[in-house]
Amino acid sequence: MKIRTILAVTTAAATLAGAAYAESHGGTMKIGITQNNVGVDSYQTTYEKAFIEAAEANDMVETVVLDAGGDVARQIAQMEDLIQQEVDAIIIWPTNGEAVIPAVRKAHQAGIPVIVTNSNIAEQGFDFVKSFSGPDNITQGARSAEIMCDKFKDMGIEDEAQVVHITGQPGYTTAIERAKGFEDRLPEVCPNVTVVDTQPGDWNREKSQQVMEAFLVKYDDIDGVYAGDDNMGVGALNAAKAAGREGIIFVGATNFAVGYEAMAAGDYWGSIYQSPVDDAKAALQTAIDVLGGEDVPFLNYFDTPKITQDNMDEFTKPVF
Amino acid sequence: MATLDRRQIGSILAKQGILIAFALFMIVFTIANPKFISIDNVFSVVRSSAILGVMALGVTFVVISGNLDLSVGSMMSFSTIVVLDLHDKIGPLLAIPAMFAMTLCLGAFIGFLVGYLRLNSLIVTLGMLSAIHGLTLTYSGGQNMDIADKEGTWFSVFGQGSALGIPVPILIFVGLAALLGIALARTPFGRKVYAVGGNGTAATFSGIKRARTVFTCYLISAGCVATAGMMQASRSLGSQNTVGQGLELEVLAAVILGGASLLGGSGTIFKTVIGVLILGFIQNGLLLVGLQFYVQFVVTWVIIILAVWLDIAAKRGKLFSHIA
Repeated sequence: MKIRTILAVTTAAATLAGAAYAESHGGTMKIGITQNNVGVDSYQTTYEKAFIEAAEANDMVETVVLDAGGDVARQIAQMEDLIQQEVDAIIIWPTNGEAVIPAVRKAHQAGIPVIVTNSNIAEQGFDFVKSFSGPDNITQGARSAEIMCDKFKDMGIEDEAQVVHITGQPGYTTAIERAKGFEDRLPEVCPNVTVVDTQPGDWNREKSQQVMEAFLVKYDDIDGVYAGDDNMGVGALNAAKAAGREGIIFVGATNFAVGYEAMAAGDYWGSIYQSPVDDAKAALQTAIDVLGGEDVPFLNYFDTPKITQDNMDEFTKPVF
Repeated sequence: MATLDRRQIGSILAKQGILIAFALFMIVFTIANPKFISIDNVFSVVRSSAILGVMALGVTFVVISGNLDLSVGSMMSFSTIVVLDLHDKIGPLLAIPAMFAMTLCLGAFIGFLVGYLRLNSLIVTLGMLSAIHGLTLTYSGGQNMDIADKEGTWFSVFGQGSALGIPVPILIFVGLAALLGIALARTPFGRKVYAVGGNGTAATFSGIKRARTVFTCYLISAGCVATAGMMQASRSLGSQNTVGQGLELEVLAAVILGGASLLGGSGTIFKTVIGVLILGFIQNGLLLVGLQFYVQFVVTWVIIILAVWLDIAAKRGKLFSHIA
């Protein structure tokens, strides 16, 4: 488990940095977090749990954990509360990349470093943010393209394969970035593979299943499906199974438990392993590093490796 | 047919405006992509519309009785999550009735508030939309719900099975539509629903128990939602908490598209079925034509408004109203 080692090393380093901070400030650091919408999906639920556990395991950290329930206005109010409470740093999981900027600026002006987690805010807010901690969605899309291309090469169909693409919710940064990463990378690695159609599955398994049903009617020959996350990928897989179409290569992103199981069953080829636990720990760590005065890169990505049927035994089954 | 004069044809057309609109769309889409009308495609559209359709059947009762039900989307998420969770805990044979009982309780609660306490149905069901969503999230702890043994369960029959070559969801939809169609058109209870929705006060004075009728309509709606949840759960054998989110508006659109009045007192099950099919085939047709998806949002609703216009135009015999 390479990732584990990296985490262990960074944690140790940060503990030292944190100790330095605690000495100079004579006590613990108080870190506030306002999350997007805990409880709405498994990823966010697991993230919150992991964040609280990581914070409890660290004696020097005291946290104020808030959740905006997907509501921009509530998130802005929570930012103001955290500023009033004079926390040492604020972590924000933006409900909306644009609307939260004024609140982020306010924290910045109050001298409180802001760390954005999971999905970044819009560019005009970058000046008020110390660091972004999260996955690199463009790389994820590119890696999915590589997974698919490699598989086509193994099968010897890299010169004729036809792919359909099911994206996340239109307008979502994550959806846009993954789609871009995939569409830019695929022609570089597999120039003769064609993407014949692209439609949104809205992060929704049922919607994705319907879209795939229509694709299966429309195209007699589909060799690969790229879905913006595993939930949608499994929806598409269900459609193909129901229609009795075999031999399609399914590649997703954000490996969910259902995707992992479908891979184990040999139905689903690959995905991108993105752990909410790593995501939460990375966010907390970034905040601790910033407070410790360390040199933290502005885009502080945590690694999200490729996972396929070939190497899945190196990863534990996602809990969400 | 030669004996029909123009007026008679006109009055037949007037009654079936929405059917003509439906036929028109089918022809246009078939020309655009002949695969549209293939048996595989028709079955796949009707099968995936069946879930929305079953919900729309129940909402038709509520709308005819002069009320609204915006809670059906959340309620469907609830029943889907509950039945999936219980499937692995107590087995499908017990999970299904347990889920129906819980969903009917929600329906009874709404029916009590709207029927007996006479609260505004828009506010009550809008509130329940959020409340039931919260209930679902609490129940599941925000986690996706999946059946562990997907290959070995007979529960998949409701969403994936087929009998006599016809997919089971379609059979359920058609069967339920026939049953509820008869209940609405041919029974004293059905007539009470129309009476309460048409003129509640008059109905009360005629000795109709208004509260009880409205209450029963919400029970029927909840029963339909539970059926839809069971079909949904069986179709994918796993679900997100948000599976039914937004369906309440699609359901309402289908019911209104079928010609039921939001003011109550009019509408039929048959026309709701047509409304459901129009929605399903539009979405599928646009995918097959291959329009870019941003454009699809616009086109879907242009077509729906066009259908409503054709329906109204056929009723009054003119494309435009003179009292504009």
